Amino acid sequence: MTTATAPARPASARRGHLPRPPSFLRLVRIELRRSPMPLILPLIAALFWFDSYRPSTSQAPLYPLVTFWNMGQGHTIIDVGPFAAGMAAWIGARDGRRGTADLVTATPRPRWVAQLATWGATALWAVLAYLVFAGVMFAWYAHRGVQGEPPWWWVAVGATAVLAFTAAGFTAGVLFPNRFVAPLAAFGGFLLMMMSSQTGFRDRSGWALLLPTNSNGNFQVDSGILYPYLPDLPIARMMFLAGIAVAVLGLAGLPAAAGGRRVRMAAAAVIVVGLTATGTAVGLARTARLSSHGMVIPALHDAASGKLIAYTPVCAGSGFRVCLNPAYRRYLTDTVGALAPVAHEVAGLPGAPVRAVQAPAIYDDNDGQGGQPMTISGDPPVLSVPYGAFSFLPGPAGFSTAPVSRTVYDQNTRLLFAQAFVGAGDTLGTPAQQAVRAALLQAAGVPFAQQPGLVSGALQPSAPSPGPGRATGPVYAAAARFAALPPATRHAWLVTNLAALRAGQVTLDRLP
Amino acid sequence: MTTTATHPSPARPAALRPVTAVMRLMWLYLLSRRVPAAAGLLAGLGCLLWVALHEHWSIAGGAAARLVIPLIVESGAAAIVAVSSHGPFGEPERATGRWLPWLRLGAALTLAAVAFAVLSAGATGGYLPGGGPALLRNLGGMIGIGLLSATVLGGSFGWTGPMAYLLITEGALAGGWATPWIWPGRPPGDLGGALCACAVFAAGLATLTLLGARNPDRHTPG
Repeated sequence: MTTATAPARPASARRGHLPRPPSFLRLVRIELRRSPMPLILPLIAALFWFDSYRPSTSQAPLYPLVTFWNMGQGHTIIDVGPFAAGMAAWIGARDGRRGTADLVTATPRPRWVAQLATWGATALWAVLAYLVFAGVMFAWYAHRGVQGEPPWWWVAVGATAVLAFTAAGFTAGVLFPNRFVAPLAAFGGFLLMMMSSQTGFRDRSGWALLLPTNSNGNFQVDSGILYPYLPDLPIARMMFLAGIAVAVLGLAGLPAAAGGRRVRMAAAAVIVVGLTATGTAVGLARTARLSSHGMVIPALHDAASGKLIAYTPVCAGSGFRVCLNPAYRRYLTDTVGALAPVAHEVAGLPGAPVRAVQAPAIYDDNDGQGGQPMTISGDPPVLSVPYGAFSFLPGPAGFSTAPVSRTVYDQNTRLLFAQAFVGAGDTLGTPAQQAVRAALLQAAGVPFAQQPGLVSGALQPSAPSPGPGRATGPVYAAAARFAALPPATRHAWLVTNLAALRAGQVTLDRLP
Repeated sequence: MTTTATHPSPARPAALRPVTAVMRLMWLYLLSRRVPAAAGLLAGLGCLLWVALHEHWSIAGGAAARLVIPLIVESGAAAIVAVSSHGPFGEPERATGRWLPWLRLGAALTLAAVAFAVLSAGATGGYLPGGGPALLRNLGGMIGIGLLSATVLGGSFGWTGPMAYLLITEGALAGGWATPWIWPGRPPGDLGGALCACAVFAAGLATLTLLGARNPDRHTPG
């Protein structure tokens, strides 16, 4: 039998002898095993502990406070993202660095597809590490008894940001395969995050809201305690970051070595999809408006997410009852002690509150804690206390400031109570209101000498510091006269004139 | 065939004069470490620092926060110096290079000097907190960290040390730490901070000179 007469082997058998290209998932599995990313995770874990967890330990144990630095201002992203970008760049530069780019271009799968598998494994390691670090941190918070709900939406934003960092770093490595691409990707990422902080700290609306380090108007106390974290802005941020990730991954598929014409067309389409998502997110952020519970984006807003969280209050106090959200239980005794002297002074007067309840703090366009006033309303009158807006809760108050003393808490609380009682709202009040407030505070244990600084700090936080200040002038002279009256006389005058005083119709010379 | 009939051996290249040979060796070494490219990148960082100072890029949050952008540039320069220590030849170079320690020392010192020069030029763009002395101290200390990282982790990963130190410094500055080991937070004339930075620079330079950057390519995937 000659070769000419030999029967041809069936085509199917020929195909059976050719090795099939590995599936995409198998490639990812191989890359997961071969990835150098785990080598750097212990270092990132140590930095995560140092820079993200450690500062939070000096905050009051409320989730919005302990996570403000690491989630609200994006420090978990700063700790993980740049390192992930550097390592991804190193991995992306592998073929070019080792001079194997031509060799691997001849493999069955288009180069871009194989690179996506490599990036997928890299991103999987980085995102999983981020989620594990954040999860361990939250588990430790729970162990410490931190109150409220963790900001899960911000964790998702962080994971998406890490994904975007790996995508950008990887693409940089593919396009510029040299030894310097890894440090440039890492330090470039860090610089971007810092510039994001610069813009984010300054801009409180528009596209700057999408910056992952921007906490203005979107991460304030009482979220996760009295009302849920609004998901609107996190969703827009994830769309923005995922769009960037998709677009830069598409860039890696544009060079001729990435694959055939169809592959490059697909890469171009991917870029368009990514840019569309990013542009849409920017457009959505431009429609954002600040509501009382956080940033609302109308197209993404679910009205149900703005409802108050139901809770059974914890109460204390024998005469004047104070009821708080259980998350604030640790402040209950201090609050009863702080409010009782003023409550005693005003007891029996028209409009005097019979108890105090916690009110949800309202978001402002800064970082919250902007000295929101107490209010008195209802029948019988009830004092509403927005604890979430107070920056003077007793105890730890942040890693860069000293703990707040009980005296400071008492004095500020009494000031806001007296302020609400004389009807001055969130203004300094009329001279007569100021004088009566000063006399009430003096009677409640806050000496006149300490009041100018107290008033300036609590009611005019944005005004330049007046220094030690002196309790002089016509207001304090009238207050001293009023405070020197017998309690029964003061009481009688207030019964008669309180309505006019609250309406701002009493002048200083009408005070006895 | 007799020996006289053999072809003459090809002419040997003329022996290089010692000075020329040394210069050629140094140049080849610098090329193998991508020093020209590193110098170009350092010049780019100098320009970045100039723009940052000229345009008043800063982070809100007080005096410590104003240090952050210059520190990023300084640590980026330190990372480039560290990464340039990576050698592509590995064991053969170590086995044959009698002058290798001196070449390593010379290359590292040259790049450190270039880094200081270009960043000093960049600092003319505006007000640099601490001025030239603080720049010299911060940059020197961070280059030392980078060289130590290169020795321990490999030249390719030498950037991780300055990056980690930058993150630690950022957290420490925000927290108001005053330890001299966080020298960027100390005043420019502070002796403790200067001594710590000098010690780290000397340690980095000494270990790199004696041991060289670790070559992890044979052990590290990716």
